[in-house]
Amino acid sequence: MTAFDGLMHGFSVAMRPDVLIYCVLGVVLGTFIGVLPGIGAMAAISLLLPITYYISPEAALIMLGGVYYGAQYGGAVASILLRLPGTPQSAVTTLDGYPMARQGRAGVALFASMISSFLGSMIGIAVLIGLAGWLSNAATSFGAADYAAMMVLGLVAASTIGSKSPVKAFAMVVLGLILGCVGTDVNSGVQRLTFGQTELLDGINLVALAMGLFGVAEIIGNVRAAEREGSPPHVSLRQLLPTRDDLRRLPGPIVRGGALGALFGALPGTGSTISSFLSYALERRVSRRPERFGEGAIEGVAGPEAANNSAAISAFVPTLTLGIPGDPIMALMLGALVIHGIQPGPLMLDARPDMFWGLVVSFGIGNLILLVLNLPLIGIWVSMLRIPFRWLYPAIVVFVCLGVYSVRGSSYDIAAVAVIGAAGYLLAVARFNPALLLLGFVLGPLIETNLRRAMLIGRGDPMIFLTRPISAVFVAATVALITAAIWGALRKRREGLGQR
Amino acid sequence: MRRDWHDLLGGVAMVATGLFVSIYSQLHYDIGSLRQMGPGFFPVTLGGILAVLGLAIALPAWRRSGTARPLALPEMLAILAAIAVFGFGLQTLGIVVATAIAVVLASLPAPRPGWIWRCVLAVAVTALTWLVFKHGLRMTMPVWPEFPG
Repeated sequence: MTAFDGLMHGFSVAMRPDVLIYCVLGVVLGTFIGVLPGIGAMAAISLLLPITYYISPEAALIMLGGVYYGAQYGGAVASILLRLPGTPQSAVTTLDGYPMARQGRAGVALFASMISSFLGSMIGIAVLIGLAGWLSNAATSFGAADYAAMMVLGLVAASTIGSKSPVKAFAMVVLGLILGCVGTDVNSGVQRLTFGQTELLDGINLVALAMGLFGVAEIIGNVRAAEREGSPPHVSLRQLLPTRDDLRRLPGPIVRGGALGALFGALPGTGSTISSFLSYALERRVSRRPERFGEGAIEGVAGPEAANNSAAISAFVPTLTLGIPGDPIMALMLGALVIHGIQPGPLMLDARPDMFWGLVVSFGIGNLILLVLNLPLIGIWVSMLRIPFRWLYPAIVVFVCLGVYSVRGSSYDIAAVAVIGAAGYLLAVARFNPALLLLGFVLGPLIETNLRRAMLIGRGDPMIFLTRPISAVFVAATVALITAAIWGALRKRREGLGQR
Repeated sequence: MRRDWHDLLGGVAMVATGLFVSIYSQLHYDIGSLRQMGPGFFPVTLGGILAVLGLAIALPAWRRSGTARPLALPEMLAILAAIAVFGFGLQTLGIVVATAIAVVLASLPAPRPGWIWRCVLAVAVTALTWLVFKHGLRMTMPVWPEFPG
């Protein structure tokens, strides 16, 4: 199927009334969640997972995708107006967005963030179309060893790149892998680590795990933190209008940020948060007057916002073509597909073109909706910032419980959410990243299956991972990342001792 | 005492979990061979790795001071209690009473005194819940408490 045929086919899926409704619902809800400080895209997607049981898989994926990039649009609003990042992906936007707001240019900053998000997404879509076909073709020659090595590389990359403590991050991944073992072993039928609980036969419920880790744990931590009484400035439509000088400054950062985000979004371990920080650093470097950054430079808003949206879309490349999520949010997306019995992989583009191309076209439609809806409605989003968190979180607690209950009518799952939520909060207090636990949980069964298959093919000789060229490259990259992490830790320690 | 308590306790918890999983799996599941891995191979290995990582986290923390982060204990207890009441009460109390109690419980640690806003919130959320989940989505669950006989 050529890209043109694919896009035409995608239009026929994405314009179906039911799919369109869920796309609109996703982006609007995503913006709402993104605007509110205290809950992020992970919590929103976890909350919506139960709904995906009741709708078609393509509508489910399109809705959850919409929540993800919608939250990035919304996250910028709180970052710019209150210096409270609504989502981690928009944290860097505070650096120049908030100073712009203090100078009375909040409207222009919001306009820049929206238009950059939109154009960055378009770059991401183009890269998604270009890369996905190429990667699916390449991946048809992948064997079990290659898959296992690639997934291990993904986990190591996610825990070493951009992480303050790679050891703690990797411990979370391993804990996730262990939790992924719980349930009936596919090969032998043995019940592993269930301790006689029949509710655990199918494994730990992904919905309960996600809601506990990202719904309950985040709420507990934010009851006080999100209650800072900020009063956002009023923003009228006229204030959105940029000056001619602003417009002249926008295209460069958008193109550079969009390209950077598309590249790092598709790589394992680096996602939209890292892309936005890299884009900010890049803009400061290429600027002729870097001293303006931090004091309201519009380039510092446009670049990162283009980068994080572009990365959010290109992150779907490995998820859909290889079946391997590069970051925890994509792990949730994959989980939603697995709920429907769909295992993404290199064959998906040909076997389920409605799914892939429908999603691609929905990205375009969803972003367009966000742009035309959010610019005129900016006043409403700003007033959302005035809703105190104490009115919202008790309702979210109830919705979490009912959402989990709706999956299979089990009070056991509600109790599981409480236990997981408590554990997740304690982990977050001790600065362990629970998002990586989820990544390990989703990838665990896939790694185990492929590892077992590879060792069977290799007649018990681990050298199979080094004799196959593709997997050898992944193993080499994994070793390089681990070496770099150890070296970095040793150097930090030596500097620490030197200071004493 | 100058210790990084978060890392120390976190690391020890990892060691304990890892050792438990590894030993339990070793005793109960077949490990198999490298060629034919049994169901025990993965958990035994992973448990071992987790225990080693836990040691690597806990040991340096013993001789290092860390910044302690306060534990939001009241918030945690209130929200867990709300979930527990809701989970266990849904079938017996019905969705209306369970929701109202859960909302009031969850709102207790909010940094704003007074009962009026809590009750208004409970009524509003209960109405919304009934409207969306019972009336709209037609989930099967009791609405009011069910008295025996």
